[in-house]
Amino acid sequence: MLFNSLDFFIFLFLVFIGYWFVVYKNLRLQNVLLLVASYVFYGWWDWRFLSLIALSTIIDYTAGFRIYESNEKSIKKRWLWVSIVFNLGMLGFFKYYNFFIDSWIDLFASVGYELQSTWTLQIILPVGISFYTFQTLSYSIDIYKEKLQPTKDFIAFAAFVSFFPQLVAGPIERATNLVPQFLNKRTFTYKTFSYGIKLMIWGFFLKLVVADRAAIYVNAVYNNTENHDGLSFIAATVLFAFQIYGDFAGYSLIAIGTSKLFGFDLMTNFKRPYLSASVSEFWTRWHISLSTWFRDYLYIPLGGNRVAKSRWLFNLFITFLISGLWHGANWTFVVWGALNGLYLILEVLLFKKRRQGVFNVILTFVLTNFAWIFFRANSIEDAFFIIKRICTVPGRLYIGSGDDITASLYATLAIVILILVELKKEYFNTMFSISNHKYEFVRLTGYAVLIYMIMYFGVFGKSQFIYFQF
Amino acid sequence: MIKKEYKTSVIKFGKFIVIFLIADFTLGIISKRLFFSQETGKYARSTYAIQETDAKVLIFGSSHAHRHYVPEVIEKELQTSCYNAGAEGQQLLYHVALQKMIVKRIKPELIILNIDEDFLYHSKEAYDRLSDLHPYYSEYRDDLEPILGLQSKLMDFKLFFNGYQANSTIMHVIRYYALPQLDYKGYRPLFGKVKPSNNIKEEVQSKIEKGVEDIDQNFVTALHTFIATAKDNNIDLVFVTSPTYLTVDHTTNASFIRIKAITEKENIPFVDFFNDQQFTGKPMLFHDSSHLNDDGAKLFTKNLADQIKKFKPHHDNN
Repeated sequence: MLFNSLDFFIFLFLVFIGYWFVVYKNLRLQNVLLLVASYVFYGWWDWRFLSLIALSTIIDYTAGFRIYESNEKSIKKRWLWVSIVFNLGMLGFFKYYNFFIDSWIDLFASVGYELQSTWTLQIILPVGISFYTFQTLSYSIDIYKEKLQPTKDFIAFAAFVSFFPQLVAGPIERATNLVPQFLNKRTFTYKTFSYGIKLMIWGFFLKLVVADRAAIYVNAVYNNTENHDGLSFIAATVLFAFQIYGDFAGYSLIAIGTSKLFGFDLMTNFKRPYLSASVSEFWTRWHISLSTWFRDYLYIPLGGNRVAKSRWLFNLFITFLISGLWHGANWTFVVWGALNGLYLILEVLLFKKRRQGVFNVILTFVLTNFAWIFFRANSIEDAFFIIKRICTVPGRLYIGSGDDITASLYATLAIVILILVELKKEYFNTMFSISNHKYEFVRLTGYAVLIYMIMYFGVFGKSQFIYFQF
Repeated sequence: MIKKEYKTSVIKFGKFIVIFLIADFTLGIISKRLFFSQETGKYARSTYAIQETDAKVLIFGSSHAHRHYVPEVIEKELQTSCYNAGAEGQQLLYHVALQKMIVKRIKPELIILNIDEDFLYHSKEAYDRLSDLHPYYSEYRDDLEPILGLQSKLMDFKLFFNGYQANSTIMHVIRYYALPQLDYKGYRPLFGKVKPSNNIKEEVQSKIEKGVEDIDQNFVTALHTFIATAKDNNIDLVFVTSPTYLTVDHTTNASFIRIKAITEKENIPFVDFFNDQQFTGKPMLFHDSSHLNDDGAKLFTKNLADQIKKFKPHHDNN
């Protein structure tokens, strides 16, 4: 079920009513309702893959207990490995199996051995598998690290694994934050309810107006590379930067807002990333739940920065390389991750002080956009073709044909609004606030107009969220 | 305590809904005014066809209709009035809706429907592009509901909101105010001649590889509805296919075969210009592989008018 569908609103309304008005007195029943709702939400897309979530739930629930109860380090470790191998194995099979087979075949072909590809399989990538496997892994690892005690409440745990607002595209919650919330009574307050609604409205603006409008131009250019010149690629890449931000940050806000309607607090996932003055700062503001996941479960276990400098730089690079691969089974993502790793290494080597100022914000934006070329391009060849075109053939700026022309105008208008809002939040947070205005009428009218703008400017084609494919 | 929170939420949410509805109503009026004030562009042409034209001959169809039929030639040859209501990118569902809205006000003598060979094949775009009809929903709800209902079962609910009805129209308004898009009674000529390319052949070939299973029953029903609406209103109907630059084999095209069968059964005159030797392979007459340029359009319209004269002689005498 997509957030940007009417089905979702009807579903949300029914679950909300049931949750706060029918089973509100019983915590366990509330969790049961959330669990059932989450399975319906996911099953709406493809019910067959519910078995994977169920299996992941059972294995990590069991592993959590075994790790906690055992006094022997070797047994604890064995159960931790069961969790890791199952979750990463499932992820590896569904997401990377064909990629690695094809890569091997390509590798052999490049040295003159032609292999017949009889090993590849017809595999459908289950939506959100990268997200929920990482989330459940955090549960087992945190228990192993004695940061968390396992819960005996299977229903609460199953609801934590499948919690529908963040099941398919995050934020990737930590068990230490979310599991206790399933075990404690949630209270309905008007303040939380209204804040949740506000977050959802802004999330929909980001998705339907910013991202989906920008996507029309971006797709027209990136899917027809042969027919476009450097200027068009620059425009498309900048628009893509906002498309992916609007798409993913929009999803996260809707997820966080929806969770608030049920009394849950999820972590902030984006914090105005394009106002970062360095790439390292960018990664403290972009997809925070994933960055911190990799920091805590990969970078720090590798030694982090408390090792020799060369090893530290290696740790940085490998973390971003794997982060790139996490995003998708394609070499474009690997290069994107490697580029970001390289940026961070250069920052460590070249800059001793924290960077600030408009110039650095612009420089960071340019560097990020350069990396986005690899992220968005359909292949590595396309990415290099685009870069070559940008450097050698500025050409003419494609302004679209037919309705594409107006789509890019809408996108530009929406991006201007987004930038103004982000600048205000970053530098003038307490000033010109509509959401915190002292007059209720101003607050309500502000959000009513924002909804009107979504309906007036938005794209309503039930478009997928980009991060579903990861 | 919790009851108080519920009560506060319900009251405030209620206030919000009221304010939103007022905003939607007020801003909706402004949006609609702007929309209907357009003088050029695709929406202005549709609005003119629906609300103003009193032409005796109307042209329907996709870009092939819009770009191939020169009303001035028809007017001269048939001594009548003509308006080209063709709409780029639109397919049968849209034409049915447009026809219904038009015949509510006037009864033209003749409707010419330009047939695209793949009209009956399922096309997601055909449904998506029905959103061009949303601004007319308030006024033509009864006519549009059955067609827009195919887009979504909850379309009625969505179109309750003025903001949704006017979705994505403001930039068109601004664009055509800034750069008016001239047309000649709905016809917009194309210029230049086609460059022969190997890709064109593949493109054309791919269209005829679909089978019966790709036929969309909603489109078949739409074609029947289009015919029935014309008959019910005593409007003569002619189906026409436009010339194509390359020779195309339609003998296996399930959509085209079905259209011809329906045409024969309903006794609708069918003028087939596919593979017409006067046009096929003549780059001077084509803008691209499937669209005639202005010279080609004028020649085609003249030939069509001559054909119409043969089976509708009264048009020649008016």
